[in-house]
Amino acid sequence: MQDLTFMMGNFAAELPGDLRYATTNHMWCRAADGHLRFGFTAYAVRLMQDVYFLDWVVNPGDTVTQLQQIGHIETSKAVADLFAPVGGTIVAFNQELLKDPSGINVDKYGAGWLFEMAGDAGICKDVQEYHQFLADNWEKTQRLIKGKINTED
Amino acid sequence: MSRTRLTVVLSQAQGKNPAKRALEESICAALIMEPGLDVSVVPYLYDLDANHTGRLFLEGVQGDMVVLTWLYPRACFWLLDRDGIKGHFGESQLKPADTDEDDEEASEPEPPKGIGSVEVPDRHIYCLDLRDFNKHEPYIDEVRRIARECKDRREAKLKQWVQGNPTMVQLGSYLRDSEQPVNGKEHPTFQPEELLKQPGRRWYPVIDYSRCTNCMECIDFCLFGVYGVDKLDRILVENQDNCKRGCPACSRVCPEQAIIFPDYKTPAIAGAPVGAITGLKIDLTKLFGGDAQDALQQAALERDRELVNDGRDAVGMTVGMPKRQTGKDQGPKDELDQLTDALDALDI
Repeated sequence: MQDLTFMMGNFAAELPGDLRYATTNHMWCRAADGHLRFGFTAYAVRLMQDVYFLDWVVNPGDTVTQLQQIGHIETSKAVADLFAPVGGTIVAFNQELLKDPSGINVDKYGAGWLFEMAGDAGICKDVQEYHQFLADNWEKTQRLIKGKINTED
Repeated sequence: MSRTRLTVVLSQAQGKNPAKRALEESICAALIMEPGLDVSVVPYLYDLDANHTGRLFLEGVQGDMVVLTWLYPRACFWLLDRDGIKGHFGESQLKPADTDEDDEEASEPEPPKGIGSVEVPDRHIYCLDLRDFNKHEPYIDEVRRIARECKDRREAKLKQWVQGNPTMVQLGSYLRDSEQPVNGKEHPTFQPEELLKQPGRRWYPVIDYSRCTNCMECIDFCLFGVYGVDKLDRILVENQDNCKRGCPACSRVCPEQAIIFPDYKTPAIAGAPVGAITGLKIDLTKLFGGDAQDALQQAALERDRELVNDGRDAVGMTVGMPKRQTGKDQGPKDELDQLTDALDALDI
């Protein structure tokens, strides 16, 4: 599937076509070494901006249910709890990010991956569906960020 | 503790984070070299109970004071106020490092709509947030600036007194030999090891009386007897340690966002500055798959969890929920109100 771009105001969020997307978590999903690797989409990173702190509250090997809280993030513009995008077992966290979480900003679709899980990615959507989801919710999201995050740069 | 010297108190972080300790130590080392300052260190302010030596020390401080803590200034100031360590809010000019250019348009703060504090002595308390910078220089510069500001204020008042009609309070403050005991009580001296005795962790709400309208929603909502009223019928966090660790539910039902839990993870509840919205981080939890309940439902759930933990029955939304319809939506909303509304409106 071809790459898509979602326009957040003047900012173009690139959405690679070869990835699956956990829409409610704004994470991408890629099969890697028999596991599912997850990371933040360009859309999520743009909303949060520079990542200052990333912390996980579960351990590799733990079984988690979908939308169970697994961690916490602090960025220059936001704080948020983080939730498991699918049910399954946590296999690994990206250790590099624990040393320096700004890797998320540098290479969100590559070296800035967040964690790997063993589980079923069936609920993840393709790029077109994620793009549609973003478009459908953009009004609501703007209400959240308007006046709080400077979207015109 | 002379009134012409400025008392500087540094309140340590919880835990043993080496980066935080290093900052604390470099600030203290630099401040001790400054003339005209009395520098003391106490443990994490929020954890000090009424019997802790650090608390007794703070209660005994006369005159202007600077408190450096790992708390938002609003949380620190009203925490001290609740403990009877009162003064006027000293405006800090510290700007966090990530303050952007577009913050400049921040409008003048609106006059406070809350009931305010009572019996405030004629002195200023400045609260500096140690999370704003990771090096000591900005704090040292700001303490110097505050020391000058306090000196100028004292001199202006003294001039006023020489020229005009002094009030009794002013007479008291300027004629008293600064080293004389106050009200017959010596200000006790404390050993550093007593001051620094590590307290246990505490958890309780702090009311920002500049926002609180005394509406009593919190006393109706809380079923653990945390809230009471003082002799003036003003709402009071009476039994702090009845509060349930981790539970911020009453802050969610407060119509004025006047209830602060200084250790809560989201800045709006932890006492982030009102108005400086770009410095205030947005909680994007809902955006990343968190529950999309409204604030009241969430508060009821949090309260139920604590009730059940206590072996009591959950009450859901049936007890003490705010009656928001009357008098609501009147008057302009400030930015914290708008932020809260925006979060509530977002259901994904």
